Amino acid sequence: MTDIRFAGHAPGHLEAVGAIVAADGDAVVRLSRITKAFGATLANAEIDLEVRPGDVIGLVGGNGAGKSTLMRILCGALPPTLGTIAFAGEAVHFADYGTAEAQRRGIRMVHQEFSLCTNLTVAENFFLEEPQGARIGRRWRERYRARARAALEAVFPEPGIDVDAQVGHLTIGERQMVEIARAVATPGVRLIVLDEPTSSLGQERSRQLRAFMHERRAEGLSFIFISHKLHEVIDIATEVVVLRNGRLAWTGAVREASIGRLVELMGGDAGVIHHHGAAKVAGGGEVVVRVGGAFAEGLERPIEIRRGEIIGLAGLEGCGQKDLLQAVFAGGRGGDVMRLGEASFIAGDRRKEGVFPLGTVLFNIGIGRIARQGMLRLVSAGREAAAAVPHAEALQLDTGRFGSNILELSGGNQQKALVARALATGTPVILLDDPTRGVDIATKQDFYRLCDAAAQEGHTLIWHSTEDAELLAADRVLVFADGRIVRELAGPEITEEAMVAASFAHIGERREEDSAGAGGLRRLGEGTVRAAPLLGLALVFAIMVWANPLVASVFGLDLLLIPALPLVLVAMAQMYIIGGSEIDLGVGAFAGLTSVLAATLLYAHPPLGLLAILAVILAYSGLGWLIQARRIPAIVVTLGASFIWSGIGYSIQPTPGGASPAWLSAAVNWQILGLPTSVLMILIVAMLAYGVNQAPIGVALRGFGNNAGAMVNSGWSATRIALLRYLVAGIFAALAGLALTAINTASDINSGNSYTLLSVAAAVMGGCTLLGGIISPFGAVAGAVTLSLIGALLGLLGVSSDFTVAAQGLVLIGLLAVRALTIQKGAEE
Amino acid sequence: MTEAGIARWAQRNRWIWSALAVLILWIVLSVVTSRFSLGSLSGILLSASFLAIVGLGQMFVVTTGRGNIDLSIPSVLTLNAYLALLTVRGHDGRLALGVAVALGVGLVVGLINAGLVVKLRIPAIIATLASGYVLATATLLANGMIPGFAVSPLLKAIVGARVEGLPVMALIAAACVGLAALVLRFTGYGQMLIAVGQNREAARLAGIPAGRVIGIAFLISSVMASLTGLLLGAYVGGAFLEMGQPYLLQSIAAVVVGGTLIFGGSATALGTFVASVLLILIVTTMQIMGLPPGAQDMVQGVVVILVLALAGREGGAGRRRVATAGAG
Repeated sequence: MTDIRFAGHAPGHLEAVGAIVAADGDAVVRLSRITKAFGATLANAEIDLEVRPGDVIGLVGGNGAGKSTLMRILCGALPPTLGTIAFAGEAVHFADYGTAEAQRRGIRMVHQEFSLCTNLTVAENFFLEEPQGARIGRRWRERYRARARAALEAVFPEPGIDVDAQVGHLTIGERQMVEIARAVATPGVRLIVLDEPTSSLGQERSRQLRAFMHERRAEGLSFIFISHKLHEVIDIATEVVVLRNGRLAWTGAVREASIGRLVELMGGDAGVIHHHGAAKVAGGGEVVVRVGGAFAEGLERPIEIRRGEIIGLAGLEGCGQKDLLQAVFAGGRGGDVMRLGEASFIAGDRRKEGVFPLGTVLFNIGIGRIARQGMLRLVSAGREAAAAVPHAEALQLDTGRFGSNILELSGGNQQKALVARALATGTPVILLDDPTRGVDIATKQDFYRLCDAAAQEGHTLIWHSTEDAELLAADRVLVFADGRIVRELAGPEITEEAMVAASFAHIGERREEDSAGAGGLRRLGEGTVRAAPLLGLALVFAIMVWANPLVASVFGLDLLLIPALPLVLVAMAQMYIIGGSEIDLGVGAFAGLTSVLAATLLYAHPPLGLLAILAVILAYSGLGWLIQARRIPAIVVTLGASFIWSGIGYSIQPTPGGASPAWLSAAVNWQILGLPTSVLMILIVAMLAYGVNQAPIGVALRGFGNNAGAMVNSGWSATRIALLRYLVAGIFAALAGLALTAINTASDINSGNSYTLLSVAAAVMGGCTLLGGIISPFGAVAGAVTLSLIGALLGLLGVSSDFTVAAQGLVLIGLLAVRALTIQKGAEE
Repeated sequence: MTEAGIARWAQRNRWIWSALAVLILWIVLSVVTSRFSLGSLSGILLSASFLAIVGLGQMFVVTTGRGNIDLSIPSVLTLNAYLALLTVRGHDGRLALGVAVALGVGLVVGLINAGLVVKLRIPAIIATLASGYVLATATLLANGMIPGFAVSPLLKAIVGARVEGLPVMALIAAACVGLAALVLRFTGYGQMLIAVGQNREAARLAGIPAGRVIGIAFLISSVMASLTGLLLGAYVGGAFLEMGQPYLLQSIAAVVVGGTLIFGGSATALGTFVASVLLILIVTTMQIMGLPPGAQDMVQGVVVILVLALAGREGGAGRRRVATAGAG
């Protein structure tokens, strides 16, 4: 084949090759003839894309045009079926090209779905973007703090974001700012892909971002800017690439593009804005929603919303628009908002609030109707389909795909299914939470038409949008600032300028009050929650000292607390597993096994025993690998493993016995300065766990517990982290086994069993949560000590030991109940 | 059916894997040991029926999603076996009272669990762990009060009876499985449960009373465990403290090995039943083969992990495929 081409192009051959090399050498990255097939569908077909230093490429196209697929291929998250990739002329095989390699080559993507870990601070999130940074030395925290501060300030002057704040406490807009700043701040970054970056940003932040891009472009940094907001694309891009049905529809310099032209190329209508026929008699329909209280604080009277109205909610992101929607949906129990008649909700955040990912399209549409017909009502698929068809047809949603999984549809079509769900319920009030977020223009058009029709039929639409232009056709627009309505616009008053002016006019008035008031209160609530396990421990201890003052002596403390040491260690092991949103039901049995190994093999043949213990620790961490690699539920795998651990232990030592090696017994029988050994050892364990937690590896473990997908996108290996997590847990659990042998000076394979569930209780009492990677070593230690003291406490009070487990259970429930009530109260404030 | 068609069918009918395992294991056993007969299968079916009923309750809780599991099942079961001894005292005339008490205790425990999980938002594993602790103490107290090990002769006869060689318990379990399958598929509650398990926030915004849906799952679980305690007590002719213990691990294993997703939102009642048979079959096999207890434990653990690793790969691959297709 080469020969033929050579022959065919013989005359100009040398020059042609030279030209290609020169062009390639210029390019940051060059994708050639990229094709990606999903079954029979071609998501990408022969797409070429070249990015040169300083390029800002506007990538546009409808939903399902193939933008996301192309970007995932570029970032190494997805291998193409065919095609090549080259960096500065150097071709790279896709087989060797993953997310980590893309990062190394300086490509960063800012995802539409947020990829921050909400349980970590802003600065820690900056660290996560640099997986290879895990090796760095002592002052790593300070370094990332400084980098975060500088990057935020560079992109968004006066960002108003504390780099030590937990990301979970930031608004969506602020998170997007962090995300963008994090991408641009990474050393060695050469190309940044921004996927709908402005969809959550206010107009001012969006302008700052574009100004920043303009500035950095001159220094040679390249961008790919994906947006449905075409005026922004035209404003910032140097080149525009239009995709349509997975193919390249057009590519050219921005000066040759116009909004109308691009829309035409993408396959939509040019007339973007919808027109609500606001011909109805204003004030004619009856009132269905009344908004008062805190929302209407700045107005003279409550807002009354009538039948057949379209009400727009405008303002900067996170200023209370969503809160109002939620309050209306909840139905006025609070008193601020009163609603007559039922309401349905159309969420723009489809993944989190919209779709049922395992369900079919029909299930996703029908569930809204089913929900309103009661639990005992019989459901028939035929009846549901019949009810859904007219709405699907009105939305131009293919009824032939009712049986498909909802996720097989493009984002726009998923949104149509959600709209059909709301319409099929026939509720008089429809609430819309930024429903066109990330939806293409053609779908928007269908959507607007339908909304107008729904309003004509007498439905009331309350519509929050981040795109002000969308609200131009509303009957009235309520502009929000700082959690309340600051302006009500009606009829001809409704212009984009008026909305922007009103939302900015009141900014800053309540900002400081916010951070001092609500923030302080929140922190106080969190502090109480964090201190609760320690307070509980102090209370138990105080009662014990009151019942018998000898408890407070060094001897008394050691007598009571030395037996708590194994549980403390098992609780630490369990805590790391819980930090990964998993539970280990075999950790107690594992501690029992190492105890048996210590009392038999380690006693008789120390080297062999040591080897055996190391081997089981490795086997234990292999479990973590298996769970991750095969994606199977940890709770059941560890349950099965518990049988293996105790089976091995039972085979080695069928009846309790053995002996503790002298050095091991010595390890729990020392004393310095007359201090209680038990307390010191428990503190050492806690410090050790805390140290691991704060080290880069601990941050990575917590990050995975919170947002594993994002960590993988940043170039971390999920299986390696799982292996590490179980290795850390296994070491703590093995130490627990050694402690058991040392304390009992013998071993029993069943001695660890009760620790499994107690360790879960201890970790959770201590403030660790099963979701979200939140762990707290000191709390878990306090929980473990409290639980093991309860038996002794009851003994001191003269209560039968029958009640020990009940007391442990009640303490656990009590602590959690207090925590739940404080958090709920905090959330209401 | 094409290969892809079969794969898709197996994806939707995940009970098939357990059924295949049961079949293979049974064939192997029949060939290897001459002692294994249809009669021994009937005994296995009987033991599996108790597990299946408990497992169905567990399945409803697991399906509510977010890793919800009912850990109070063993305590509820044991407590009710003791309560039956206290209330029925071996008189058939008092059997109705025994049933009423079992139902009542099941409902009360279920309500408490539901309250802890839904109202106080305590993770289910923790809430049921804690309520299990309290019930264990109640059982200890009941243990000191029982007049003797006399169970209702009528109930004992029913539980132990066979129709055409088929245990009546198996018919009861089959009826429960059928009912559970119907509830899941054809009632508003079943559909709402599945929706809640897949995406709780979306379920709430779709108008589903998510809290009530989740609470009812805990009620079902506790009532099933209560009734099983009554039946199992009658079958073994009394009660003992460790009676419920095996059902903690086995009820979860039956649910997950059967093909119900541990992450919630997708359940199969038939799978729970088939997996119950599989688990009991494995345990019985090892006892027949005379394996030492330690080795028996190891085999049981290895089998559970192996089955999951194989099934997990199937489910995982399917989900990944769907996910990538959706991204285009």
